[in-house]
Amino acid sequence: MKASGRRRLLIGAIALAALALGMILTDDLVQAAAPGPLVTGNVFDRQGQPVVGARVTITAGRAEAPLSEAETQPDGRYAVPVPEAPPEQLTLHIERPHFQSASTDLSVAQLRDLRNGQTVSLPDTTLLRRINLAFWIATGLFVAVLVLIATGRLHNTLSAMVGVSLIFVLSYIGRTISEDLFIFDFRGALGYVDWNVIFLIMGMMIVVAVVERTGIFQWMALRAYRLSGGRTWLLLPILMVLTGVASATLDNVTTMLLMTPITVQIALALGLNPLALLMPEVMASNVAGISTLIGTPTNILIGSYADISFNSFLTNLTPGVVLALVGLVLYSEWTYRRELKVSGEPGAPSAMLEELSESARISEPEHLKKAGVVGAGMLILFVLGEQVHLLPSVTALMGATALMVWIRPNIEEMIEAVDWTTLVFFITLFIVVGAIQEVGLVSFIADGIGRLIGDNLLVAVLAVTWLSALLSMVIANIPFTAAMLPVVGFLTKTVPGANTQVLFYCLSVGSAMGGNGSLIGASANMVTAGISERSGQPITYAYFFRKGFPALLLTVALASLWLLLHFLVS
Amino acid sequence: MTGIVCAVRGGPASQPTIARSVSLAQESGLPLYFLYVVNLDFLTYTSSSRSHTITMEMEQMGRFILRTAEDTAAAKGVTAEGLVRHGDVTEEIIKLSHEIEADYVVLGRPQIRQKRSVFTRDLLAEFVGRLEELTGAKVVMAEPAEGNNGGGS
Repeated sequence: MKASGRRRLLIGAIALAALALGMILTDDLVQAAAPGPLVTGNVFDRQGQPVVGARVTITAGRAEAPLSEAETQPDGRYAVPVPEAPPEQLTLHIERPHFQSASTDLSVAQLRDLRNGQTVSLPDTTLLRRINLAFWIATGLFVAVLVLIATGRLHNTLSAMVGVSLIFVLSYIGRTISEDLFIFDFRGALGYVDWNVIFLIMGMMIVVAVVERTGIFQWMALRAYRLSGGRTWLLLPILMVLTGVASATLDNVTTMLLMTPITVQIALALGLNPLALLMPEVMASNVAGISTLIGTPTNILIGSYADISFNSFLTNLTPGVVLALVGLVLYSEWTYRRELKVSGEPGAPSAMLEELSESARISEPEHLKKAGVVGAGMLILFVLGEQVHLLPSVTALMGATALMVWIRPNIEEMIEAVDWTTLVFFITLFIVVGAIQEVGLVSFIADGIGRLIGDNLLVAVLAVTWLSALLSMVIANIPFTAAMLPVVGFLTKTVPGANTQVLFYCLSVGSAMGGNGSLIGASANMVTAGISERSGQPITYAYFFRKGFPALLLTVALASLWLLLHFLVS
Repeated sequence: MTGIVCAVRGGPASQPTIARSVSLAQESGLPLYFLYVVNLDFLTYTSSSRSHTITMEMEQMGRFILRTAEDTAAAKGVTAEGLVRHGDVTEEIIKLSHEIEADYVVLGRPQIRQKRSVFTRDLLAEFVGRLEELTGAKVVMAEPAEGNNGGGS
């Protein structure tokens, strides 16, 4: 770039920064300059969650026309300005769709304070839920979306999109027929979308797209084979650990997409039934993926919702994951002991090995080196970023951008590598789950579970872990986790001792390890079965359950043991 | 050009089909072609953006599976050629049969327990009729080995 071009760019950047600073300062000045006395307070629901977007009005007594009004903020706080000469009687009204309205008459003393120009703070208001037609419709739509996803009648993304469309049809068109059909408007719906999750997944997809083309997975699988010397009892744990580590740093589906074909080839070369390696691999992927924030979409959801950092996942979950993985290795060695026995000398015939080596070459060594450097930088930022409140999504985006600038791949190919259907799935899913939050279903579930669990943290830990694990066998774990987050958030606030976020870790363990209980429990299972079938080794539902369910019981038990020891005993 | 086409997926269920095609090649002296078809339908409900990389991996796996089939044929003194194609299995079998003007196409007979097989018995019967009509090749059905249903069944 020429010097004049650089100067123009610099001036442009400074102008933009000044504009942004100006907007921030202006906003501050406007807020600081708000005149007159105020009536302030907070609005919460029965679970103690702030009620956002409630309309707060002040009227002269019970008159209908408001003198002034305001809206509750994300922390549930409101500040309504009062006219300089307030009338004899003032009434504060709080109303919001899906809640019962509340009204308070201001006392004589409060009116006097207002007349003296003082701000009056009212006690916290608890709004009670109101069950209306929208409640049942939103609940029905949520269940319908889950059923469509579970049965595969529609693509996941399309299922969620249909749900969202129907929500908006009811909210906009249905509202003209009955106010009770309103769920939320477009702006309200977008408020439920967690953009931190969307951008984190998008950034990681770009990084993964570069890494997956380098052939590193295949190369590592062959190294695993060489390290084992063809001894199958040793090859199994090495491949499981390799898959586990890869799943913790990339996503499980990508890991299994790349590991399954090469594993099939290694198994065939050794004369093994490929399922003896594939099943333990996919189970290890489901177990080990949760040791980091970026390892599974469910962890990304949990981390963003509960503000759990990369480090916290590492320190609080990794020991439990290692324990579960050790158990899983021993279980796999035992359950596949017959299949792992090969006749004759260990190792593949040399011709086969040559063919394998051909399959397992590093195809883009330069890209791999650069991806390694950027990956290491991202890891450092993920670990240290919380010191400067750097969001993981920002780190992922910076990493993806740095990698693309450095490697200069075909940008269209890279953008195509982003799985937009998954991103749209997440956005629409957030809205569908937001609808059941909006109408109060999640609050009722949280209330019910809270009453069942009571004040007992031990019961809460076991209930959240096992309930999540068993339900994740039949319900897709991403929508399940998204719906459970506010429930677990409520329990975290109400159960004594749960403020360590232990219940979020329980949700992480349950929703991920529960995927081992059935073929449809995790997307990684489905892609493994798909590739395996194309190698002539079908994995049936019954077969997966037979091998996977005992693994679920074992790994969830071991991980629960760790959570109890770590959070309750120590 | 003439020859025998044998579509394989690997695994125990393919072994009788491979064996039958090899014995047919021995009897007739015709060249043998093993066919592996890469098909990514299983990605429909999961991740669709990774088809580039996974296609290459599946192709590699297909070549490896074909290599094992070629080795089986070589052990019986038959030289076979492995071909990897992409798309729908039935269409690719028809295309290859046309290309080589196949005399025989060897297919495996589906087993009742193999519910996830590409061919159910009815579909297979329909396909055999269509294949013979379109290509003029004779379809030979390989009988499955007893109790051989693949690892996962």
